[in-house]
Amino acid sequence: MPEIQFILDGKEVTAQPGETILQAAEKVGIHIPTLCFNQKISRTTSCFVCVVKDVKTGKFLPSCSACPSNGQVIESSSPEVREMRRTALGLLLSEHTGDCEAPCTMACPAHASVEEYVRAGRKGNFLEALKIIKKRIPLPMSVGRVCPRFCEKDCRRNIDGKPVAINEVKRIAADLYYDEYMEELPPLNGKKVAIVGAGPAGFSAAYYLREQGIQSVLYEQMPEPGGMLRYGIPEFRLPKDILRRELAHFQKMDVEIRCNQKLGRDFTLECLKAEYDAVLLAVGSWSSSSMRIEGEDLAQQGIAWLGDIAGKNWKNCANPGRTVVVGGGNTAMDCARTALRLGGDVTVCYRRTRAEMPAEANEIQEAMDEGVKFEFLTAPLSLKKAEDGSLRLACQRMELGAADASGRRTPVPVPGSDFEIAADTVIAAIGQRTVVPEGVPAAKRGIEVDPADLKCAGDAPVFAAGDCVSGPATVVEALAAGRKAALSIGDYLAGRKHEEPFVFNVSRGHWRSLAKEDLVYLRKISEEERVKPEFISMEKRRTTFEELFPSIPADKVSKEAERCIECSCTAKGDCFLKKHATEYKVQPDMFTG
Amino acid sequence: MSEEFSYLNQLGSDKGDLIKGLQLVQSREGYVSDEAICAVSKHFSVPEAEVEGVLTFYAQFKRVKPGKYQISVCDGTACHIKGSTQIQAWVSAELGIKDGETTPDGLFSLVTVACLGCCSLAPVLSINGKVYGKLDRKGLTRILNEYRKMK
Amino acid sequence: MANIKRIKVGTASCGLAAGSGAVLEAVKRNAGNIPVVEVGCIGHCYAEPIVEVECEDGSSIFYSRVAGTDDAARKIIALSDEGRFSIPEKRASLEKNIVTRLAGRINPVDLAEYRANGGFEALKRAFSMKPEDVVEEVKKGGLRGRGGGGFPTGMKWSFLAAKKVPEKVLICNADEGDPGAFMDRSMMESVPYQVLEGMLIGAYATGATKIFIYCRAEYPLAIKHLTLAIEEMKKAGLDQLAGREKPLEITIKEGAGAFVCGEETAMINSLEGHRGTPRFRPPFPTDSGWNGLPTAINNVETFANIPPLIAMGGEAFASVGTEKSKGTKIFALAGDVKNPGLTEVPMGITLAEIVYDIGGAEKGSVKAVQTGGPSGGCIPAEHFDVKIDYDSLKELGAIMGSGGLIVIGKNRCMVETARYFLSFTHRESCGKCTFCRVGTTRMYETLERIVAGNGTEEDIAFLEDLGPKIRKGSLCGLGQTAPNPVLSTLRFFRNEYEAHVKDHVCDAMECRALVDVKLNTDKCIHCGLCIRTCPVSAIGPDFKVDNAKCTRCNSCIEVCPKKAISRVRKGEGFNSSISK
Repeated sequence: MPEIQFILDGKEVTAQPGETILQAAEKVGIHIPTLCFNQKISRTTSCFVCVVKDVKTGKFLPSCSACPSNGQVIESSSPEVREMRRTALGLLLSEHTGDCEAPCTMACPAHASVEEYVRAGRKGNFLEALKIIKKRIPLPMSVGRVCPRFCEKDCRRNIDGKPVAINEVKRIAADLYYDEYMEELPPLNGKKVAIVGAGPAGFSAAYYLREQGIQSVLYEQMPEPGGMLRYGIPEFRLPKDILRRELAHFQKMDVEIRCNQKLGRDFTLECLKAEYDAVLLAVGSWSSSSMRIEGEDLAQQGIAWLGDIAGKNWKNCANPGRTVVVGGGNTAMDCARTALRLGGDVTVCYRRTRAEMPAEANEIQEAMDEGVKFEFLTAPLSLKKAEDGSLRLACQRMELGAADASGRRTPVPVPGSDFEIAADTVIAAIGQRTVVPEGVPAAKRGIEVDPADLKCAGDAPVFAAGDCVSGPATVVEALAAGRKAALSIGDYLAGRKHEEPFVFNVSRGHWRSLAKEDLVYLRKISEEERVKPEFISMEKRRTTFEELFPSIPADKVSKEAERCIECSCTAKGDCFLKKHATEYKVQPDMFTG
Repeated sequence: MSEEFSYLNQLGSDKGDLIKGLQLVQSREGYVSDEAICAVSKHFSVPEAEVEGVLTFYAQFKRVKPGKYQISVCDGTACHIKGSTQIQAWVSAELGIKDGETTPDGLFSLVTVACLGCCSLAPVLSINGKVYGKLDRKGLTRILNEYRKMK
Repeated sequence: MANIKRIKVGTASCGLAAGSGAVLEAVKRNAGNIPVVEVGCIGHCYAEPIVEVECEDGSSIFYSRVAGTDDAARKIIALSDEGRFSIPEKRASLEKNIVTRLAGRINPVDLAEYRANGGFEALKRAFSMKPEDVVEEVKKGGLRGRGGGGFPTGMKWSFLAAKKVPEKVLICNADEGDPGAFMDRSMMESVPYQVLEGMLIGAYATGATKIFIYCRAEYPLAIKHLTLAIEEMKKAGLDQLAGREKPLEITIKEGAGAFVCGEETAMINSLEGHRGTPRFRPPFPTDSGWNGLPTAINNVETFANIPPLIAMGGEAFASVGTEKSKGTKIFALAGDVKNPGLTEVPMGITLAEIVYDIGGAEKGSVKAVQTGGPSGGCIPAEHFDVKIDYDSLKELGAIMGSGGLIVIGKNRCMVETARYFLSFTHRESCGKCTFCRVGTTRMYETLERIVAGNGTEEDIAFLEDLGPKIRKGSLCGLGQTAPNPVLSTLRFFRNEYEAHVKDHVCDAMECRALVDVKLNTDKCIHCGLCIRTCPVSAIGPDFKVDNAKCTRCNSCIEVCPKKAISRVRKGEGFNSSISK
């Protein structure tokens, strides 16, 4: 039988008799996606992801079954065809259930492959675990200690109240192998980037730039690098010897750190622009928000106060005496617990209730255990100095009113409920703001960037990432932002357009929407209790800055990891539905019906 | 093949008669049991899974034993326009069973069917094949009571 | 007074459902020596049970709505004036009984009577022609497939005739699956020989050696009559076609309740004993159909058209109808119309003539007609002046379909109507193609949401976006047409959709979630019938309907002798959970 000539996407294509359009297309390098076609079995013609358009008849044909005819004109990649394929995929997905990735992985702001490193930990292979972690988290020693554990909050085992202690895997993996493990790095390519601010975002950017062969120089205004990790988070949560060990690794990665270098004082943005191929601003969010009360000047600024003490290495600091900390966030908790350890008698005033406190639940509990007192539904009115030189914080009681736009109930003053608290030290820890450097566009929360590539407006290759863009956030979020900036800068320097990877994920839903009976997985649910850390004595917790608890030993962590049920799909690696949906940018909720 | 289904032998074993075989079984037994699937599978030399695949495709086949009186409420277009939804609701309310169910005493079972072809008498239902047309609330109660009396 | 020759009682399915079984018994008991015969359906289903008294002088007297009593039977035999029925003149003038000429007039299973009325004359004429000339004659007649597709029958036959192989198959599609259509049932019940004669001519013309009749199991009487007729035909040697060595094989296969089996390739799969899912075409059935043999499929009405076409000749046949649609069409008229039934009319008649003149619907009472069943569309009353043929209906977003014509009154909700059709198609989707299987389900869910009062404007946009994609992306007619009822109602009754989603109002008071039930105390006579009937005890001793309990089942509305209870807009009735 003679060969068949037809036009495919404008190209003349020859097909053998009996050959389908899909097969003929494959031979000329036009790949048509399909889910149901398999040469080994008879044609099912079912998924319709392989549709193409017969231009002359206007009909859509399943290319896995349709054989071309002479002179036929077929479109396989026009927008209309792509839209039909998207629809087919969207419809298929609307009936699809499961979890591509486990909820822990999806919850991690840095999108670390949580399930995979927990599995490695379960097998006792903590070096492997560390390798997986460092693909997304270049500061695992710190994050292993200070992360608020987004992963654990979304762990399906919250259904029975026992989320897996995921962060302990990270911490012990880093403790054991961080010094030993060395990445395989490509040779330097000659490009150089200046990073302003040697905090988590800056280091993360430096790390992922180096992985692309790009060298970076970190400019740091403080005497030591680390940013919030060094000057914000107190010693008892993150010992600085550990931080130094962690940052020392960067020297092995050709990263240069220049301390005591302040933007605007010791160098200018213009100089950096002239000297480097690109500049990344990662200056953090260091300015305390105002309490907006009379006598504000008499109060300490939370983050600055912590910084002072950190600068003295938590040694030989004055006893703050009767201390009132105003605020309910993590900084407030750090201030309270630091003041307590310095000998203070500490009270936290927060204008809502414990349930609304933005600080992590475990930190609140730990602060309470250590003896910090709490005055909830209490808002400051003014601060005065009494005749004896001590302070008087006038407060009033609040009650919770209607929910505001964010869904949180707004505190409303209770008339006639004013009272005074006598104090020696008052610390305002109600939030931080970014001070946007001169010559850089500003937005509401900080530096203004294009969210797609983190670049500041203008021709110059100036990027920004971390708290200075988002406002105060967590370390792991800063690491994610730093990585994104590094990839964007890498693309910029290579002359590529930066595109955010399309993250496709099917989820069975948040654990709150599921019941225990829904937890049917390949791995059985272990009824073991969650591993608990062994805290140092309360005496030490109240009086010293020693780390709260030592890392949980590897064998115990391996055992803990046995409690993971491995929610993710075992086929996620070679799933064609996922592959095509990602290629065609189809989200699973395209047709929720 | 078990004695029980030996009547299948009146059909040839041509696979084209598979549906006919299932229809024969259902006309004898009232439904197609697991045992019947097994017998049909052997008779036509077709895997059991395929037999089940075929029979579940067609609405006619029942996998559970129906009631003594099988009520089919027509939900064809004409009947629908003439209020078959209400008829279904009324039958359900009278008998306490939903579509596809059988009363605990095994007397009635209820199914909704696409069209009985008696559109000009809409709304209609059939009980064991006997068609009742131009139904209203009172008429329906009367019909059901007749069958209740017959037991 | 003329002498009675014989008495005919219409015992087709609809007649039986109307009670003609009892009528037949009563007439037989009282007829004495007068022959009583069962006949099929004359199409005036609304008048069933119908009895025809045939007189020696050739005249006939019809009686309608006959009771199954001895008294009624005696009155008929006495040729009483009471209960006489004559076909309305207007209707008679519009109808053209070419195909249904004998329906309901002769004993369906009596071969001799069929022959006496001109039966098998067409077959004789066909045998006098060469097979290819028979195909030509059908082409000349311009007959298009009556099953819905409208494909020219002569052309289909010529494809099959061109295959030079020893075995070929002709299938009669008697799986009338469109809910609301019953002309094929009626033809098979009333004139089975005519349908079979059409098949014999088809087999002769195309060279087919095997005939399957795929009939839905819901039509037991049709199957019975066809079976009897085939036996009689075989006895009479009619299955021996001219110039053939072996007689034709004719097999009846019962369907098993799957709408999609009305589709050609799905039907072939089903006949082979498989799940009835369609096959990808090509290969077309005329190349490779049943068990790989060349196969052509025509529906019952198409075959029933063949004997008159051949008898009168293609040219005469084509003199009726419009330019592109020749001959007559039988419509099954049902719904909100005074005289439902079957009506055979020439192509090109207007919808208004069918609905008002034949159906007797009151002008102004009709909102739309739905043609083509679940694959068709709704045509609003404003367009009733359209001359019906295959193409004009398509232009209006509907289709001719198999001929179901449902009249939708002003008091019906079009969104609910669309939801109903989608509930049917999404259930009947065979599951093969993604667009149809999942797409219709998503559309159905969206419509469910709208009628439940939870729809949004995005839902309307969603339907408009997805509908055309399902049309484009489905393999067979079911999926390709499934969105039609939604898209056509969106086109003509968009305001109803908008009222549902924007104001949460169903003006037709049909959507349960959007109505309350209210008792008008001024009209109420406190008879208590409603209280006793209510299945959920929603009506208290104070005769207040509590809409918190009420399921809107309409039981009370139906039984109220004073019409004191009615549906009102949501919120206008009493509701204990709100009014506390």
